[in-house]
Amino acid sequence: MLGLRDLQAAFAAHLEGEDRPSLADAVMGDTISAAARLRIHRHHVAESLATALAATYSTVQAIVGEDFFRGMAKAFAATDLPRQPVLAEYGGAFPAFVARYGPAASLPYLADMARLDWALNLAFHAPWRDRLSVSDLADLPSEGLLASRVSLAAGSTLVRSAYPIDRIWEASRPGAAAGRVSLDEGPASVIVLRRSGDAAFARLCPAETAFVEALADGKTLEEGAHAAFAVEPAFDLSTTFARLLALQAFAALQHES
Amino acid sequence: MNAGAGIGLRSPHLAEIARDRPATGFLEIHAENYLATSPALETVELLRRDYEFSVHAVGLSLGSVDGLDEAHLDRVAALIDRLQPTLVSDHLSWSVAGGRYFNDLLPLPYTEEALQAVVRNVDRLQERLRRRVLVENPSCYLAFAHSTLSEPEFLAELVGRSGCGLLLDANNISVTAHNLRLDPEAWLGNLPASAIGEYHLAGHTVNEADGEPILIDDHGSRVADGVWSLFDEIVRRHGPRPTLVEWDTDLPALDVLLDEARRAGRALGVEVEADARAA
Repeated sequence: MLGLRDLQAAFAAHLEGEDRPSLADAVMGDTISAAARLRIHRHHVAESLATALAATYSTVQAIVGEDFFRGMAKAFAATDLPRQPVLAEYGGAFPAFVARYGPAASLPYLADMARLDWALNLAFHAPWRDRLSVSDLADLPSEGLLASRVSLAAGSTLVRSAYPIDRIWEASRPGAAAGRVSLDEGPASVIVLRRSGDAAFARLCPAETAFVEALADGKTLEEGAHAAFAVEPAFDLSTTFARLLALQAFAALQHES
Repeated sequence: MNAGAGIGLRSPHLAEIARDRPATGFLEIHAENYLATSPALETVELLRRDYEFSVHAVGLSLGSVDGLDEAHLDRVAALIDRLQPTLVSDHLSWSVAGGRYFNDLLPLPYTEEALQAVVRNVDRLQERLRRRVLVENPSCYLAFAHSTLSEPEFLAELVGRSGCGLLLDANNISVTAHNLRLDPEAWLGNLPASAIGEYHLAGHTVNEADGEPILIDDHGSRVADGVWSLFDEIVRRHGPRPTLVEWDTDLPALDVLLDEARRAGRALGVEVEADARAA
C-alpha cells in the first residue's frame, strides 16, 4: 500500500509522463482500466496548461494557429511545470523554449513575439500607481532634472528585436486588415507599458531606444541623452522626454531625505 | 448571505457586469485569477460595493502531504482581507507535489493518513484566514483500492475534526457517482447536512475511456438534466443555500449564465429580484 507521500510522488511522476506500476496498482479499474483513468488526469494537466499559455501568448498562437501552438505549449509544459498556482505568472521561460523549438525554426521572429506577449502580460499585472507626471517636474530646476535618475514605471519594459515586431503584432490581431509584413522592414524596438485599463506598447526609434535603455540601467537623463546623441545626432531630448512622460512610462521620483 | 443563486465571475464578462450591474444573488471569483495586480482586480473591488462575493480557491492544495504553500497562502489571505467576501472555499483534492503545481484537482485516497493531512491543512488555512472555510467535494475519475472511508464519510470526519463547512457540488456528485459506479442518493445520505454552506452547479461533458462513457467536469455547458434532478433532491433534503452556477470553458453570453442562475434560484424557491443585490 502506498503511503500518501509516495502516492503523491508517484502521481506527480505519472503526470510528467512516467508510468509508475505502483500507482496503477493502487487505482481500481473495472471496464475502464486504471491506466485509462489515470490518463484523464495526465491529459487534463497538459491541456489546461496549454490553455493557460494560450491566454498569455495569444499573439504567438494567432501566428502559428491553435494546433501548432498547443503542440508547442504541451512540449514546454512537459519540461517546465508551474511552481505556484497563479497561471498569469506561469510561462516566463516559454520565449526561450520557442527560440530553440525545432518545428518553429522557419519563423525566426516567433520567440521575439513571445517576449512581447510576456512583457505585455507583466505590464498588465503591474501596479498602476506612482507614475511621474508633468506637475511633479514643475518645481525642479532644469539642471536638477538633467542630473536626476528617472526609472521606468512598474511594468514598463523595453523589447528589442531584429524584426518588425510591432507590425507583426498588429497584423496578428483579430480583424487586422489583410496585408503582408516584410521582414525586410528591419529591426524594431518597443516600450511596453501598463496603462490605466490595460497594457500596450509604443514603438521607439533607435535614439529613443538608447535613451530608455540608459535610464533603465540607472543612468541620469543627461547620460541618457548622450547615449541617444551617439545613435542620432538630431535626437531631441525634450520631445522624447515629453512623449515618454505622456505615455506614463516613468516611475515617480524617489525623494531622498 | 441570502440563499440566492449567483454566477461565477469570468473576465470576458467583467466589463458587461461592471456596466450593467445585472441582478444576481452573488458573484464568485477564483482566488488565483486575482492574486496579481491587474485592472480586473480594480473592477472587482468596485463591484464588491454592489455585490456579495465568494472567493473560491483552486490552488491551495488542501490534500498535499507537504502542507500548504505559505507564500501562496499569504497572497490568498491578502486578497480575502481586501475583498472581505462572505464565503471562502477550496477543494478536497491536491495539486502540488515536490514544489510543482499541476493545475488539476487530483484525487486523494480516503484513508486515516490522508484525513490527518487534510485536517492539518484546513486547520492552518482557517487559522491564517481567521475564518471558517468551505471544502468542496471533487469530481472523481478514479478511486484508490486502499481507501478505507467513503467520500461522504471522509468529508464528515473532516468537518468534525476541523470545524470547516462543506461546499456541495451537485455536478461533481453526478460525475463521481457515474464514473465510480456509486449511487448519488446514497452518497448524499451520509453527509453532515448542517455543515453545508454553499452549493455549486455546472455542466459536464461525456467522453470515452476504454470505449465506455466517462463524465468530465468541464464547466462548459448548461447544467445537465440529471444534475438538476439531483439538485432538487439536495434542496428537498437539506434546504436552500447560496448556489453558484460555474461556467469556465466555451463561456456563453452573460445572459445564458444569468438564466441558469435564475433557474437555480427557482429550484431553491428563491427568486432574484432586480433589487436583490447586496446593499
